[in-house]
Amino acid sequence: MSRRTTTLRAALLAATTLALAGLTSGVARAAGTLVWGMPAETDILDPHATGGWSTYQVTYQIFEGLVKEDLTKADVPTPPLVPALATSWEISPDGTVYTFKLRPGVKFHDGTPFDAAAVKFNFERFWDESSPNFYKKAKAFVIAYTKWIKSVEVVDPMTVRVTLKAPNYQWLRIGLQSYGQPLMISPTAVKKYGNGGIALHPIGTGPFRFVERDQGVKTVLERNPDYWGRPAKLDRIIFRPLQDPATRVNALENGEIQMMSTPPWDEIQRLVGEGFKLSTNANVPYINFLHLNFKNDAMKDIRVRKAINMAIDREGIAHDIYHGTGRAEYGMLSPGTDAYDPTFKSYSYDPEGAKKLLAEAGHAHDLKLVFELPQYGTGELVETWIQRDLKKVGIDVQLKKYEWITYMGKWAGGMPASVAFNTIGWGMSTPAWIDIVSRCDSAPPGGVNSGWYCNKEVDKLLDAAILERDPVKMKAIYQKANRLIMDDAAFVPTVDDLQPMLLSPKVKGFVNPPEDWFDLSTVSVE
Amino acid sequence: MGKFLVHRLLGVLPVMFGVSVIIFLLMHLAPGDVTTVLLGPQATEAAKTELRHALGLDQPLPLQYGRWLWRTLHGDFGVSIATQLHVAALVLPRFVNTMLLTVASLFLAIVIGYGAGLFAALRTRSIFDRGTMVVTLLAGSTPPFWLGLILVLLFAIRLRWLPVSGMTDMAGDGGALDVLRHLVLPAVTTALGPAAIITRMVRSSLREALERPHVRVARAKGLSRGVLLRRHVILNALPPIVTITGLQLGYLIGGALLTEVVFAWPGLGSLLYDSITARDMPAVQATTLLIALAFVLVNILVDFINVLLDPRLRDA
Repeated sequence: MSRRTTTLRAALLAATTLALAGLTSGVARAAGTLVWGMPAETDILDPHATGGWSTYQVTYQIFEGLVKEDLTKADVPTPPLVPALATSWEISPDGTVYTFKLRPGVKFHDGTPFDAAAVKFNFERFWDESSPNFYKKAKAFVIAYTKWIKSVEVVDPMTVRVTLKAPNYQWLRIGLQSYGQPLMISPTAVKKYGNGGIALHPIGTGPFRFVERDQGVKTVLERNPDYWGRPAKLDRIIFRPLQDPATRVNALENGEIQMMSTPPWDEIQRLVGEGFKLSTNANVPYINFLHLNFKNDAMKDIRVRKAINMAIDREGIAHDIYHGTGRAEYGMLSPGTDAYDPTFKSYSYDPEGAKKLLAEAGHAHDLKLVFELPQYGTGELVETWIQRDLKKVGIDVQLKKYEWITYMGKWAGGMPASVAFNTIGWGMSTPAWIDIVSRCDSAPPGGVNSGWYCNKEVDKLLDAAILERDPVKMKAIYQKANRLIMDDAAFVPTVDDLQPMLLSPKVKGFVNPPEDWFDLSTVSVE
Repeated sequence: MGKFLVHRLLGVLPVMFGVSVIIFLLMHLAPGDVTTVLLGPQATEAAKTELRHALGLDQPLPLQYGRWLWRTLHGDFGVSIATQLHVAALVLPRFVNTMLLTVASLFLAIVIGYGAGLFAALRTRSIFDRGTMVVTLLAGSTPPFWLGLILVLLFAIRLRWLPVSGMTDMAGDGGALDVLRHLVLPAVTTALGPAAIITRMVRSSLREALERPHVRVARAKGLSRGVLLRRHVILNALPPIVTITGLQLGYLIGGALLTEVVFAWPGLGSLLYDSITARDMPAVQATTLLIALAFVLVNILVDFINVLLDPRLRDA
């Protein structure tokens, strides 16, 4: 080998080594940056005109309301309501007038001062159709909150009074659970970018402020240095949509993300064994359930509805499919509400009892039912389990699957008589959510009581609950309504997932509260 | 040649028109209501009706299509219903990303396919030739998303040489080198299937050309191997190879859309998926039109190269 060849090879080797070193070293991470791998891209970041928990996970960090849920506590049944942009509020004895004292010295991220005029502006945007600031889309989203409002007045520069059409002691919490949320947006930003422009320029008062969004790639927030409250610990949060669960797992293992939501159930124990932290919450504010269709001939018979409730082995689903990150449910009040009663058990697993009821109803062997459901990955295991359990008691279930948007239309439109049941996972941290799916006047169109369930006694109880100021009495009324609904076997509550989150050991201070979204101001990354 | 090109380019217009009509109709035939997506399940019917009117969705279909076509012909792709971004601003960066992945994959497929195919053709029935045939059979039959996951497990999780996902490091901007690191695994994943097919085509075309009588005569005359290959073998074998390479480029665009999901590569694949599931018609139309346009232009380029190689094809 000539000297020249040797020198050339040595140079090549050095170059390759350097290149490999460059390839493998990666890029130095900024201190205190949390990269969160999410299963889907979030919606637009205008809190008045968007819905869905994955979007709230971002908007909660940027925007605040007059009142907020304290999400820094995991071991509470329901997140307590605490002052946010209002330091205090008073409710009139008749329950219709809410007077808010506003927090002084707060500024929006663009420097606009927060005051009563800003609050009025925001209410005009999502409620007042006569105002030039009104935004139709916002009203459509925040309707569960705004439909109660009669008037909004500025009492003085730091006081606002909202008068309701009728008393509703769940109104404040409904506001935080409404499909769109009545959080405070900078009026200057709305005037500058237009109502539609807030989607791309989200400017609130929260502990983090918006930096950039590369649609489908990342949304970046940074710490708000002028935050009125305890400043956030993180420098930055990067929300990354990673659709494929395997990609999220791989990215976590490789250190590209530090936190992932909706991990595949069968991967959780392996990752925990490798040192990743699993965070769950037993008091999730939602339940997975089946709407039973009261227009379907077979479902009109209460014995059939009860038999279906008794035939499904919920504990088996929680154990074998969710691998301990799920819990069997027997009522329609979710564990994240004040009114949840963990001892309440409507129908235990009893396939023999179910067979007996079906025989009494004249359906010993011949019952064929249609089950409509959305097409998505992990839910499929549960649905085939339900199909198998019902087959065991002699019910032949035909699964009809639809892509999500198609399904949403079918579900919200109400089931036709040919369909026996459909499914959804939903809920709120207020028990008033039960109104949405079970009241007579919540039937479609305009409501999502997809199974057309109607019991006037239940409606009366729900009416009374909303008027009840005493939390103990209110809780008792909702529990009674829940018992009536389950006595009617109007639904089949199945299994909740306990909101499993997987975290890198470097992540500190993460709290998994009884809510679908989190307060990331307490989090740090080593 | 100019006439050939003009003729072919004019043919693009009816193809694009047909694609846009089909996509428009398919999206309208699909069940599901965009207003449920945009306004949520609790929205009133009145609000939904108002939104349908605001978006022009209550107009007759021909009118909706005509308006869209008119705006598009004037360079206005409209505003994405779901993201409220201008469609051009949404789609074009994604298109560039998909093209980057596609071109890198094509480069790899050509280097591997032409190199291995040539080598196998010249050493027919050798261990290399037989080995290449087995490997290409396996590579050509492997689903890219599975292959992608296996490559990630090996090179990103086990060896930690390369990143798992994305196009750049999320926590910092590593520049071109960072993009290259992120490009390796998706490009290899996308390239292997087409590389296998190109290898087989190169091998069989060259084998066929090598067996032709004029090549035997040239070899008998004592022509050197290099000259023989350049003048008499490769040139004659090229047209089918170029054609199959062009077809593979189409396959690569399709394959890249799948690979993008596994590697979270921010290209047209995930955008198309999101847009279809959100019934975001302006974004779906623009995305599919761009993919169709790329496919058609690649075919024209392939035809053009073939005509350069074999002028007899000009009148074909």
